[in-house]
Amino acid sequence: MSGDHGGHEHGHEHGGGDGGHHDANIAARVRELEAQLVAAGQITEAELEAILLEGWSGSPAHGAAIVARAWADPGFRDRLLADGNAAAGELGLEAEGYLLKAVANTADVHNLIVCTLCSCYPTNLLGPSPGWYKSFAYRARAVREPRAVLAEFGVELPDSTQITVWDSTAEARYLVVPARPAGSDGLPEASLAALVTRNGLIGTAVV
Amino acid sequence: MARFTVGSEVRARLGDPDGHTRVPRYVRGHCGEIVGLHGDWKLPDAAVRGTLVTEPVYAVRFRAADLWGHGGHDVIVELWESYLEEAAGER
Amino acid sequence: MGGQTGFGALPQPGAEPPAGADWEAHVRALTYALMDRGVFGGDEFRDAIERIPPAEYLSLSYFERWFAALEILVREKGLLDGAGG
Repeated sequence: MSGDHGGHEHGHEHGGGDGGHHDANIAARVRELEAQLVAAGQITEAELEAILLEGWSGSPAHGAAIVARAWADPGFRDRLLADGNAAAGELGLEAEGYLLKAVANTADVHNLIVCTLCSCYPTNLLGPSPGWYKSFAYRARAVREPRAVLAEFGVELPDSTQITVWDSTAEARYLVVPARPAGSDGLPEASLAALVTRNGLIGTAVV
Repeated sequence: MARFTVGSEVRARLGDPDGHTRVPRYVRGHCGEIVGLHGDWKLPDAAVRGTLVTEPVYAVRFRAADLWGHGGHDVIVELWESYLEEAAGER
Repeated sequence: MGGQTGFGALPQPGAEPPAGADWEAHVRALTYALMDRGVFGGDEFRDAIERIPPAEYLSLSYFERWFAALEILVREKGLLDGAGG
Protein backbone atom coordinates (compact mmCIF):
# COMPACT_ATOMS: atom_id res chain seq x y z
CA MET A 1 0.00 0.00 0.00
CA SER A 2 1.16 3.53 -0.19
CA GLY A 3 0.72 6.57 1.92
CA ASP A 4 -0.09 8.62 -1.15
CA HIS A 5 -3.74 7.95 -0.82
CA GLY A 6 -4.90 11.11 -2.50
CA GLY A 7 -6.83 8.92 -4.91
CA HIS A 8 -7.19 6.15 -2.35
CA GLU A 9 -5.52 4.08 -4.94
CA HIS A 10 -3.70 1.72 -2.69
CA GLY A 11 -6.13 0.66 -0.01
CA HIS A 12 -6.62 -3.04 0.46
CA GLU A 13 -9.83 -3.85 2.14
CA HIS A 14 -11.73 -6.70 3.58
CA GLY A 15 -9.12 -8.18 5.76
CA GLY A 16 -9.17 -11.89 4.64
CA GLY A 17 -7.37 -13.12 7.67
CA ASP A 18 -4.23 -15.13 7.51
CA GLY A 19 -3.30 -16.78 10.72
CA GLY A 20 -5.86 -18.29 12.98
CA HIS A 21 -5.36 -15.74 15.72
CA HIS A 22 -7.95 -13.01 15.82
CA ASP A 23 -7.93 -10.71 18.80
CA ALA A 24 -11.42 -10.77 20.23
CA ASN A 25 -10.73 -7.37 21.77
CA ILE A 26 -9.45 -5.73 18.61
CA ALA A 27 -12.55 -3.59 18.13
CA ALA A 28 -12.24 -2.25 21.68
CA ARG A 29 -8.53 -1.61 21.25
CA VAL A 30 -9.16 0.31 18.04
CA ARG A 31 -11.83 2.42 19.71
CA GLU A 32 -9.48 3.14 22.59
CA LEU A 33 -6.60 4.20 20.36
CA GLU A 34 -8.95 6.39 18.37
CA ALA A 35 -10.19 8.12 21.53
CA GLN A 36 -6.64 8.61 22.80
CA LEU A 37 -5.42 10.11 19.53
CA VAL A 38 -8.37 12.50 19.42
CA ALA A 39 -7.86 13.49 23.05
CA ALA A 40 -4.17 14.12 22.33
CA GLY A 41 -5.12 16.40 19.44
CA GLN A 42 -3.39 14.26 16.82
CA ILE A 43 -6.57 13.89 14.75
CA THR A 44 -10.17 15.05 15.01
CA GLU A 45 -13.43 13.13 14.93
CA ALA A 46 -14.41 15.17 11.90
CA GLU A 47 -11.34 14.02 9.99
CA LEU A 48 -12.14 10.39 10.79
CA GLU A 49 -15.79 10.79 9.88
CA ALA A 50 -14.91 12.28 6.52
CA ILE A 51 -12.74 9.31 5.63
CA LEU A 52 -15.28 6.79 6.93
CA LEU A 53 -18.11 8.39 5.01
CA GLU A 54 -16.11 8.63 1.81
CA GLY A 55 -15.92 4.87 1.79
CA TRP A 56 -15.00 3.44 -1.53
CA SER A 57 -15.03 5.49 -4.69
CA GLY A 58 -13.22 2.80 -6.64
CA SER A 59 -14.96 -0.07 -8.41
CA PRO A 60 -14.10 -2.81 -10.87
CA ALA A 61 -16.62 -1.17 -13.19
CA HIS A 62 -13.94 1.46 -13.82
CA GLY A 63 -11.40 -1.12 -14.94
CA ALA A 64 -14.06 -2.89 -16.99
CA ALA A 65 -14.93 0.36 -18.79
CA ILE A 66 -11.29 0.82 -19.75
CA VAL A 67 -11.04 -2.72 -21.11
CA ALA A 68 -14.31 -2.43 -23.02
CA ARG A 69 -13.09 0.74 -24.69
CA ALA A 70 -9.80 -0.96 -25.58
CA TRP A 71 -11.67 -3.87 -27.15
CA ALA A 72 -13.95 -1.59 -29.14
CA ASP A 73 -11.37 0.99 -30.22
CA PRO A 74 -7.91 -0.16 -31.41
CA GLY A 75 -6.55 3.39 -31.26
CA PHE A 76 -7.55 3.62 -27.59
CA ARG A 77 -5.99 0.24 -26.95
CA ASP A 78 -2.68 1.45 -28.35
CA ARG A 79 -2.85 4.61 -26.25
CA LEU A 80 -3.77 2.59 -23.16
CA LEU A 81 -0.81 0.27 -23.52
CA ALA A 82 1.53 3.22 -24.15
CA ASP A 83 0.27 5.50 -21.35
CA GLY A 84 -2.31 4.06 -19.00
CA ASN A 85 -2.72 7.20 -16.90
CA ALA A 86 -3.57 9.38 -19.91
CA ALA A 87 -5.91 6.75 -21.35
CA ALA A 88 -7.79 6.42 -18.06
CA GLY A 89 -8.10 10.19 -18.08
CA GLU A 90 -9.85 10.01 -21.46
CA LEU A 91 -12.66 8.13 -19.71
CA GLY A 92 -12.70 10.58 -16.83
CA LEU A 93 -11.04 8.08 -14.50
CA GLU A 94 -8.43 9.32 -12.09
CA ALA A 95 -5.12 7.52 -11.94
CA GLU A 96 -2.97 9.91 -9.96
CA GLY A 97 0.16 9.40 -7.93
CA TYR A 98 1.09 6.13 -9.55
CA LEU A 99 2.02 4.74 -12.93
CA LEU A 100 -0.94 2.88 -14.46
CA LYS A 101 0.39 0.07 -16.61
CA ALA A 102 -2.08 -1.92 -18.69
CA VAL A 103 -0.84 -5.33 -19.78
CA ALA A 104 -2.68 -7.19 -22.53
CA ASN A 105 -3.45 -10.89 -22.67
CA THR A 106 -3.13 -12.44 -26.11
CA ALA A 107 -3.39 -15.91 -27.57
CA ASP A 108 0.23 -16.43 -26.55
CA VAL A 109 0.64 -14.45 -23.33
CA HIS A 110 -1.29 -14.43 -20.06
CA ASN A 111 -0.58 -11.82 -17.39
CA LEU A 112 -1.01 -12.23 -13.62
CA ILE A 113 -0.68 -9.46 -11.03
CA VAL A 114 0.54 -9.74 -7.44
CA CYS A 115 2.25 -7.65 -4.77
CA THR A 116 4.49 -10.01 -2.83
CA LEU A 117 5.74 -7.37 -0.43
CA CYS A 118 2.45 -6.08 0.91
CA SER A 119 -0.60 -6.35 -1.46
CA CYS A 120 -0.51 -3.10 -3.46
CA TYR A 121 -3.55 -2.87 -5.71
CA PRO A 122 -5.20 -0.21 -7.95
CA THR A 123 -8.27 0.27 -5.78
CA ASN A 124 -9.71 3.24 -7.62
CA LEU A 125 -9.98 1.16 -10.77
CA LEU A 126 -10.77 -2.19 -9.21
CA GLY A 127 -12.43 -1.37 -5.89
CA PRO A 128 -11.33 -3.10 -2.69
CA SER A 129 -8.85 -5.93 -3.09
CA PRO A 130 -10.13 -9.44 -2.42
CA GLY A 131 -9.03 -11.39 0.63
CA TRP A 132 -7.24 -13.99 -1.47
CA TYR A 133 -5.13 -11.29 -3.12
CA LYS A 134 -3.88 -10.19 0.30
CA SER A 135 -3.30 -13.75 1.52
CA PHE A 136 0.16 -15.08 2.27
CA ALA A 137 -0.58 -18.02 -0.02
CA TYR A 138 -1.19 -15.80 -3.04
CA ARG A 139 1.69 -13.45 -2.29
CA ALA A 140 4.07 -16.39 -1.90
CA ARG A 141 2.87 -18.66 -4.70
CA ALA A 142 1.86 -16.39 -7.59
CA VAL A 143 5.47 -15.63 -8.53
CA ARG A 144 6.67 -19.18 -8.05
CA GLU A 145 3.88 -21.39 -9.44
CA PRO A 146 1.39 -19.27 -11.35
CA ARG A 147 -0.12 -22.22 -13.25
CA ALA A 148 -0.99 -23.99 -10.01
CA VAL A 149 -2.46 -20.79 -8.60
CA LEU A 150 -4.51 -20.24 -11.75
CA ALA A 151 -5.73 -23.85 -11.58
CA GLU A 152 -7.19 -23.06 -8.13
CA PHE A 153 -9.21 -20.38 -9.88
CA GLY A 154 -10.31 -22.89 -12.48
CA VAL A 155 -8.08 -21.37 -15.15
CA GLU A 156 -6.22 -23.92 -17.25
CA LEU A 157 -4.04 -22.43 -19.94
CA PRO A 158 -2.44 -24.29 -22.85
CA ASP A 159 1.18 -25.28 -22.24
CA SER A 160 2.14 -23.02 -25.12
CA THR A 161 0.79 -19.92 -23.35
CA GLN A 162 3.57 -17.84 -21.84
CA ILE A 163 2.71 -16.57 -18.35
CA THR A 164 4.11 -13.26 -17.13
CA VAL A 165 3.71 -12.42 -13.45
CA TRP A 166 3.98 -8.74 -12.52
CA ASP A 167 5.08 -8.02 -8.93
CA SER A 168 4.00 -4.51 -7.88
CA THR A 169 7.09 -3.59 -5.92
CA ALA A 170 7.26 0.10 -6.75
CA GLU A 171 4.81 2.72 -7.96
CA ALA A 172 3.27 1.01 -10.99
CA ARG A 173 -0.17 -0.50 -10.59
CA TYR A 174 -1.20 -3.04 -13.17
CA LEU A 175 -4.44 -3.61 -15.04
CA VAL A 176 -4.79 -6.76 -17.09
CA VAL A 177 -6.59 -6.32 -20.42
CA PRO A 178 -8.12 -9.76 -20.93
CA ALA A 179 -8.29 -11.25 -24.40
CA ARG A 180 -11.61 -10.34 -25.94
CA PRO A 181 -13.93 -13.36 -25.77
CA ALA A 182 -15.08 -15.07 -28.93
CA GLY A 183 -18.59 -14.19 -29.98
CA SER A 184 -18.45 -10.65 -28.60
CA ASP A 185 -18.17 -8.96 -31.99
CA GLY A 186 -20.71 -6.23 -32.52
CA LEU A 187 -21.63 -5.88 -28.86
CA PRO A 188 -22.04 -2.31 -27.62
CA GLU A 189 -19.39 -1.07 -25.20
CA ALA A 190 -21.63 -1.32 -22.15
CA SER A 191 -22.24 -4.99 -22.90
CA LEU A 192 -18.54 -5.56 -23.40
CA ALA A 193 -17.83 -3.99 -20.03
CA ALA A 194 -20.30 -6.36 -18.39
CA LEU A 195 -18.17 -9.28 -19.59
CA VAL A 196 -15.07 -8.04 -17.77
CA THR A 197 -14.80 -9.47 -14.26
CA ARG A 198 -12.68 -8.14 -11.40
CA ASN A 199 -10.62 -11.31 -11.42
CA GLY A 200 -10.11 -10.88 -15.16
CA LEU A 201 -8.51 -7.50 -14.45
CA ILE A 202 -6.06 -9.14 -12.03
CA GLY A 203 -5.34 -12.12 -14.25
CA THR A 204 -6.99 -14.88 -12.22
CA ALA A 205 -9.82 -15.31 -14.69
CA VAL A 206 -10.28 -15.61 -18.42
CA VAL A 207 -13.36 -13.68 -19.48
CA MET B 1 19.70 10.59 -16.30
CA ALA B 2 18.77 6.91 -16.24
CA ARG B 3 21.79 4.63 -16.03
CA PHE B 4 20.22 1.65 -17.79
CA THR B 5 18.20 1.26 -20.95
CA VAL B 6 15.64 -1.24 -22.18
CA GLY B 7 17.49 -4.42 -23.02
CA SER B 8 20.24 -3.89 -20.43
CA GLU B 9 21.17 -6.98 -18.48
CA VAL B 10 21.27 -6.25 -14.78
CA ARG B 11 21.66 -8.06 -11.49
CA ALA B 12 19.59 -7.30 -8.41
CA ARG B 13 22.07 -6.57 -5.65
CA LEU B 14 22.67 -9.14 -2.96
CA GLY B 15 22.53 -7.96 0.57
CA ASP B 16 20.00 -7.72 3.33
CA PRO B 17 19.71 -4.09 4.37
CA ASP B 18 18.78 -3.40 7.96
CA GLY B 19 16.05 -1.01 7.06
CA HIS B 20 13.06 -0.82 4.79
CA THR B 21 13.67 -1.73 1.17
CA ARG B 22 11.58 -2.80 -1.80
CA VAL B 23 13.86 -5.46 -3.28
CA PRO B 24 12.05 -8.77 -2.88
CA ARG B 25 14.34 -11.43 -1.44
CA TYR B 26 13.61 -13.85 -4.25
CA VAL B 27 15.35 -11.70 -6.89
CA ARG B 28 18.42 -10.66 -4.91
CA GLY B 29 21.58 -11.82 -6.67
CA HIS B 30 19.68 -12.82 -9.80
CA CYS B 31 20.12 -11.46 -13.32
CA GLY B 32 17.34 -10.07 -15.43
CA GLU B 33 16.64 -7.91 -18.44
CA ILE B 34 15.27 -4.39 -18.34
CA VAL B 35 11.99 -4.31 -20.25
CA GLY B 36 10.74 -0.86 -19.29
CA LEU B 37 11.54 2.46 -17.68
CA HIS B 38 8.87 3.44 -15.16
CA GLY B 39 9.88 6.99 -14.33
CA ASP B 40 11.60 8.59 -11.36
CA TRP B 41 10.23 7.89 -7.90
CA LYS B 42 11.12 8.58 -4.29
CA LEU B 43 13.40 5.83 -2.91
CA PRO B 44 11.65 4.15 0.05
CA ASP B 45 14.91 3.12 1.74
CA ALA B 46 15.81 6.79 2.11
CA ALA B 47 12.29 8.00 2.79
CA VAL B 48 12.03 6.03 6.00
CA ARG B 49 15.23 7.72 7.17
CA GLY B 50 13.72 11.11 6.44
CA THR B 51 15.84 11.71 3.34
CA LEU B 52 14.47 12.52 -0.10
CA VAL B 53 16.22 10.60 -2.85
CA THR B 54 14.63 10.18 -6.28
CA GLU B 55 15.79 7.50 -8.69
CA PRO B 56 14.68 5.89 -11.95
CA VAL B 57 12.59 2.76 -11.50
CA TYR B 58 12.97 -0.09 -13.98
CA ALA B 59 10.77 -3.04 -14.91
CA VAL B 60 13.12 -6.03 -14.82
CA ARG B 61 12.19 -9.41 -16.26
CA PHE B 62 13.49 -12.53 -14.54
CA ARG B 63 13.05 -16.08 -15.81
CA ALA B 64 11.39 -18.53 -13.45
CA ALA B 65 14.04 -21.14 -14.27
CA ASP B 66 16.71 -18.74 -12.95
CA LEU B 67 14.74 -17.80 -9.83
CA TRP B 68 13.35 -21.18 -8.81
CA GLY B 69 15.20 -23.74 -10.92
CA HIS B 70 11.94 -24.65 -12.66
CA GLY B 71 9.00 -23.09 -14.42
CA GLY B 72 8.53 -21.56 -17.86
CA HIS B 73 7.06 -18.23 -16.75
CA ASP B 74 8.63 -14.79 -16.36
CA VAL B 75 8.40 -12.53 -13.33
CA ILE B 76 8.63 -8.78 -13.92
CA VAL B 77 9.62 -6.76 -10.88
CA GLU B 78 10.01 -3.00 -10.52
CA LEU B 79 13.35 -2.07 -9.05
CA TRP B 80 14.92 1.26 -8.16
CA GLU B 81 18.23 2.03 -9.84
CA SER B 82 20.32 1.64 -6.68
CA TYR B 83 19.01 -1.90 -6.34
CA LEU B 84 20.71 -2.84 -9.63
CA GLU B 85 24.17 -3.36 -11.02
CA GLU B 86 25.36 -4.22 -14.53
CA ALA B 87 25.47 -7.87 -15.51
CA ALA B 88 26.30 -7.96 -19.21
CA GLY B 89 27.05 -11.41 -20.49
CA GLU B 90 26.42 -13.16 -17.21
CA ARG B 91 23.24 -14.96 -18.24
CA MET C 1 7.33 -13.50 1.03
CA GLY C 2 7.43 -14.11 -2.73
CA GLY C 3 8.40 -17.69 -3.47
CA GLN C 4 8.12 -18.92 0.09
CA THR C 5 6.70 -22.40 0.24
CA GLY C 6 4.34 -23.99 2.71
CA PHE C 7 1.38 -21.64 2.56
CA GLY C 8 -1.04 -24.09 0.99
CA ALA C 9 -4.23 -23.34 -0.86
CA LEU C 10 -5.68 -19.89 -1.40
CA PRO C 11 -8.51 -18.83 0.91
CA GLN C 12 -11.88 -19.38 -0.64
CA PRO C 13 -13.84 -16.34 -1.74
CA GLY C 14 -16.90 -15.71 0.36
CA ALA C 15 -15.00 -16.63 3.49
CA GLU C 16 -14.95 -13.00 4.55
CA PRO C 17 -17.89 -10.67 5.15
CA PRO C 18 -18.40 -8.56 2.03
CA ALA C 19 -18.34 -5.25 3.82
CA GLY C 20 -15.51 -6.08 6.19
CA ALA C 21 -15.64 -5.44 9.90
CA ASP C 22 -16.34 -1.99 11.27
CA TRP C 23 -13.12 -1.92 13.26
CA GLU C 24 -11.20 -2.47 10.02
CA ALA C 25 -12.77 0.63 8.49
CA HIS C 26 -11.71 2.55 11.60
CA VAL C 27 -8.13 1.25 11.41
CA ARG C 28 -8.01 2.35 7.80
CA ALA C 29 -9.48 5.77 8.65
CA LEU C 30 -7.03 6.29 11.53
CA THR C 31 -4.12 5.45 9.25
CA TYR C 32 -5.20 7.80 6.48
CA ALA C 33 -6.09 10.59 8.92
CA LEU C 34 -2.62 10.48 10.45
CA MET C 35 -1.01 10.38 7.00
CA ASP C 36 -3.11 13.35 5.89
CA ARG C 37 -1.75 15.20 8.91
CA GLY C 38 1.79 14.31 7.84
CA VAL C 39 2.48 12.32 11.00
CA PHE C 40 3.98 9.56 8.90
CA GLY C 41 4.19 8.58 5.24
CA GLY C 42 3.40 5.40 3.37
CA ASP C 43 7.00 4.18 3.39
CA GLU C 44 7.19 4.57 7.18
CA PHE C 45 3.91 2.73 7.55
CA ARG C 46 5.06 -0.19 5.38
CA ASP C 47 8.32 -0.22 7.31
CA ALA C 48 6.43 -0.43 10.62
CA ILE C 49 4.42 -3.38 9.30
CA GLU C 50 7.66 -5.07 8.28
CA ARG C 51 9.05 -4.56 11.78
CA ILE C 52 6.25 -6.53 13.41
CA PRO C 53 8.04 -9.58 14.88
CA PRO C 54 7.82 -12.44 12.32
CA ALA C 55 5.80 -14.86 14.45
CA GLU C 56 3.31 -12.13 15.21
CA TYR C 57 3.22 -10.96 11.59
CA LEU C 58 2.22 -14.41 10.38
CA SER C 59 -0.47 -14.76 13.02
CA LEU C 60 -2.23 -11.46 12.40
CA SER C 61 -4.88 -10.71 9.80
CA TYR C 62 -4.31 -7.95 7.28
CA PHE C 63 -5.88 -5.12 9.27
CA GLU C 64 -4.55 -6.45 12.54
CA ARG C 65 -1.14 -5.83 10.96
CA TRP C 66 -2.15 -2.28 10.11
CA PHE C 67 -3.24 -1.78 13.74
CA ALA C 68 0.03 -3.24 15.05
CA ALA C 69 1.94 -0.84 12.79
CA LEU C 70 -0.13 2.07 14.12
CA GLU C 71 0.72 1.08 17.67
CA ILE C 72 4.43 0.97 16.77
CA LEU C 73 4.34 4.41 15.19
CA VAL C 74 2.22 5.93 17.96
CA ARG C 75 4.76 4.71 20.49
CA GLU C 76 7.88 5.69 18.52
CA LYS C 77 6.62 9.14 17.67
CA GLY C 78 5.30 9.79 21.15
CA LEU C 79 1.88 10.71 19.81
CA LEU C 80 0.22 10.14 23.17
CA ASP C 81 3.00 11.59 25.31
CA GLY C 82 1.95 14.45 27.48
CA ALA C 83 -1.69 13.67 26.85
CA GLY C 84 -2.08 12.08 30.24
CA GLY C 85 -3.22 8.88 28.54
